[in-house]
Amino acid sequence: MNRKHKSDLIILFATLGLMALGLIVIYAIGPMRANVLNSTYGTDYDSNYFFWGQLRSVALALLAFFAAFKWIPYKYIKKVAKPFIIIALTLSALLWFLALVSGGQSSGIVKCELGECRWFDIGGINFQPAEVLKLALVIYLADFLTRKQQEGVIGKFKEFWLPLIIICGISLALVVVGQGDLGTGVALIAIVLGMLLISGVPASQYLIMLAIILVGAVGAVAFSGHRMERVDAWVTTLTGGESSDATYHVDNAMLAIGVGGFFGVGIGNSVQATGYLPESINDSVFAVMGETFGFVGLFLIIAVFAALLLRMVKVAEYTQDSEGRMLIVGIFSWTLAQVVVNIMAMTGLVPVTGITLPLLSYGGTSMIFIAFAIGLVLQLSCYTSREVSSKNEDISSRRGQRGAHYTSRRRSA
Amino acid sequence: MPQNNYQPHTITDPSRRRLKILRTIVLVLLGIILLRLFFIQILEHGNWVAKASEQHTILETITAKRGEIYMMDHDQPVAVVLNQTTYEIVIDPTVTKKEDIEQVIDQYAKDYVVADLDEVYNTEGLRYSVVAKNIPRETAQQIADSGTPAIWLKKINQRVYPEGTLASGLLGFVNDDGVGQYGTEGSLDKQLAGEDGLIKATADVNKVALSIGDENIKIPSKDGENIILSVDRGLEYGVEERAQAAIDSTAATNASVLIMDPNNGEVLAMANLPNYDPAHYDKVTDAAAFVNYTTEVPYEPASICKSFTFAAAVNEGKMTADTTYFNEHYTTVDGWKIENAEQRSILYGTINMKTALYWSLNTGSIQALRLLGGDPTRITQQGREKLYDYYHNKFRLGQITGIELIEAEGYIEDPNEGWGRDSTYANMTFGQNLGITMVQTASAFSAVVNGGTWHTPTIVKGVLEDDKIVPLNDTSTINKLGEVSSLNESEIGGKSVTEPVESKVSDQILTEETSAAMRAMLINNRGYKVADGTDRPGYDIGGKSGTAQVIVNGAYDDTFAQLVGSYIGFVGPSGELPKYVIMVKMWGEGQSIGSGDAMDLFNTLSNYLIDYLKIKPRI
Repeated sequence: MNRKHKSDLIILFATLGLMALGLIVIYAIGPMRANVLNSTYGTDYDSNYFFWGQLRSVALALLAFFAAFKWIPYKYIKKVAKPFIIIALTLSALLWFLALVSGGQSSGIVKCELGECRWFDIGGINFQPAEVLKLALVIYLADFLTRKQQEGVIGKFKEFWLPLIIICGISLALVVVGQGDLGTGVALIAIVLGMLLISGVPASQYLIMLAIILVGAVGAVAFSGHRMERVDAWVTTLTGGESSDATYHVDNAMLAIGVGGFFGVGIGNSVQATGYLPESINDSVFAVMGETFGFVGLFLIIAVFAALLLRMVKVAEYTQDSEGRMLIVGIFSWTLAQVVVNIMAMTGLVPVTGITLPLLSYGGTSMIFIAFAIGLVLQLSCYTSREVSSKNEDISSRRGQRGAHYTSRRRSA
Repeated sequence: MPQNNYQPHTITDPSRRRLKILRTIVLVLLGIILLRLFFIQILEHGNWVAKASEQHTILETITAKRGEIYMMDHDQPVAVVLNQTTYEIVIDPTVTKKEDIEQVIDQYAKDYVVADLDEVYNTEGLRYSVVAKNIPRETAQQIADSGTPAIWLKKINQRVYPEGTLASGLLGFVNDDGVGQYGTEGSLDKQLAGEDGLIKATADVNKVALSIGDENIKIPSKDGENIILSVDRGLEYGVEERAQAAIDSTAATNASVLIMDPNNGEVLAMANLPNYDPAHYDKVTDAAAFVNYTTEVPYEPASICKSFTFAAAVNEGKMTADTTYFNEHYTTVDGWKIENAEQRSILYGTINMKTALYWSLNTGSIQALRLLGGDPTRITQQGREKLYDYYHNKFRLGQITGIELIEAEGYIEDPNEGWGRDSTYANMTFGQNLGITMVQTASAFSAVVNGGTWHTPTIVKGVLEDDKIVPLNDTSTINKLGEVSSLNESEIGGKSVTEPVESKVSDQILTEETSAAMRAMLINNRGYKVADGTDRPGYDIGGKSGTAQVIVNGAYDDTFAQLVGSYIGFVGPSGELPKYVIMVKMWGEGQSIGSGDAMDLFNTLSNYLIDYLKIKPRI
């Protein structure tokens, strides 16, 4: 392993900046959300309920972020890859079982919404095992793929594809079938696709796999009534057809974004967040930001995500350690999938699947685990290397080692 | 600077290429998203703003409180039309639990039930049922506080009439749409209604107004005026009671009475019998029941108009009470033989005008018209023009008077146009061939007896503001069309008008001497026609009767099968100007009602008026 140096500041500040922005937006629209819930369902949320919730999530996420970044060396983490994924799978399986027992209704330990049970509810604290599974799968696959590389069995059916299909199949089944969570399913597939891309799988096999996944996805959608409905609604939206209950969510998301115009209506002036837009504080927070900050704001937010994602690719490029590189690409794929699928759903480019926008959406578990994952990337960014031009290393060039190593390459390129 | 070789040594080439693919994927996907955002936020921005405004804006009316209507109780206003807010219980039988609604009714609303619950719950597909009505506010509050689920209270604003059917033709009613119909409610609808306010605001999904947005508008409502009528409630009640008694004891089915102060045109009573119940106006099957016959229906008051012809001739200095002519019981105009109703032989020969008026001789009033034209032997153009000038321009017959009610205009024929002008004008001298309303007649008669001044009749004392009576300022919006146009022509006759009404006028149209001479003749009219003791000593009471034939199929019905009886007169202390003018009209479909019935009612009313208003005799 290379000598430790400073971490990637762009990833660091992009992460912290997005969290702060999420907090500000939730502060502005949380009271509206509370008001809507109170007047519609007779609940009794305090107007700052969601802000305090988000603040707590951000605090925990920061804790996880720095834990992964500074305090828990990756070498310890990769040692627990197997038990970790077993625990994650067990949790999801347990949730499914409890959901079956409760018949899709919230019980003392399971929280369900619209018949889908995705949360444990332990003493009022909600916990979403699918988020654990994403992290566990990334860590496990990094370990698995590296081992297979070392064994030289990449691309072999029995030693490589079979165990891979089994582990991924179980994970997908637990999330998509067990929890009805297509969004996480998409993220899991993206993670697998991303990591396999750089694992050394032959291009022909990779393309066959892509085709199979595509056919499988189309089939899964076509044979599931409510997913087909969403696709129908999406086609309607894309083709400018009549609004209906099915297109309500995306119609109102696009309305919010469209109203924002160039500069937005300003913080606290979002009308769509007062109940017109479903899931305004979590899945639809991007649309509220579009209304609030306009094209300029969304451009900046997307630029920050772009910087975060491109820096992850860069860190991966300069990470010597294959396992670390694979891990980074897994986290990159996870982040990219959530960003793209969430935003494209809000703009009517893909059907609505119900997926959070990383670091910005309200929601504890998803933020904590993605923060932990990005923290891992940051930790690895401290160990990037650059090949030195000659064996007689010029001491004066140490200057270039102060920051992340690839920065020097950029400077002279 | 050192030269660096940038190849990370541990990454194989394919892996590196593939990392580049990831970078491309990021740029392509985010690029697509940015293009999409540019499309939605910049190019389509206007469309979305329009959609948003449609979705977010609420328009709400703030309903103005409708003004109440008052009458006078001597010098104090008393409410005769009030507003009341009551509540209805509405249930949805598919949602509301039967035991819940049963318990609520049992506990609070037993007296207000309007539906059979068993029936409601057995009706298939019923989603809405009013099960109780007219629940007072306090009870409704108790029901609301009980927190029973799925029971809705619907607020109903309604007019209530503490005096029941009193003066219904004068008051009118408010229909289900909240629009005043007929009577005062119809004519002063704008003043009573006030102006509704408006809230235009950006609202949340539950239609609660937000403080977001700078286009929020709130226009407060302006409550309607509380209108005080000059009509005296007690007097009105007594008048209606006596008029109803007159209907009951004669063949008449209808009676209208108008009492006004001739010295200022103020109406003290206005009755149209039979009344209807304005609280249940929807139960009335014939719209004729809503009509205010004193102002909305022109008719032929017949011989009453002789007072106007005589007044014109006297005022022009063409005749006096003692002017004589030769009465042959008939006279011929345009080849038409016009006869007197009174044919007794002692009247044959030379008689004076006072006698002619006393016996209501048509030959007498035609003679007055001839004198008016300067030739005692024939009707001249000058005579017709003079009579038209008095009838139409001075007495304002066939014109909107300006009273604050729905009015018909009526008509007076032009003196020079058309065929048979002389016979038309001969008929007009005794009140036929014209169409005038009771209020026009009473206003003209007031001018005849009050010293010669025509006053705009008025029935609004003012509006009640902070317990003070202040004048009704803007009368330009008084509804003169009202519902008149919806009645058929023969019922109403005349024309509807839309011109604004000129403000109150007081116009000296006759000399005081003419008025005094007319008073003397009208007092003389009472003579022995009225039974001894009917008119009390110490009062000057004068009057004139009128019995009108009814036009059937465009011609006067000479069989007299249907007659309309009228009487108009004045009351005051002896030697003083009259205090009150009373006009009575009685009729019945297919009934022959002579002026005698009307005079009997007048006699009753004049004495009642003296008692009720405590008019002191002067002996």
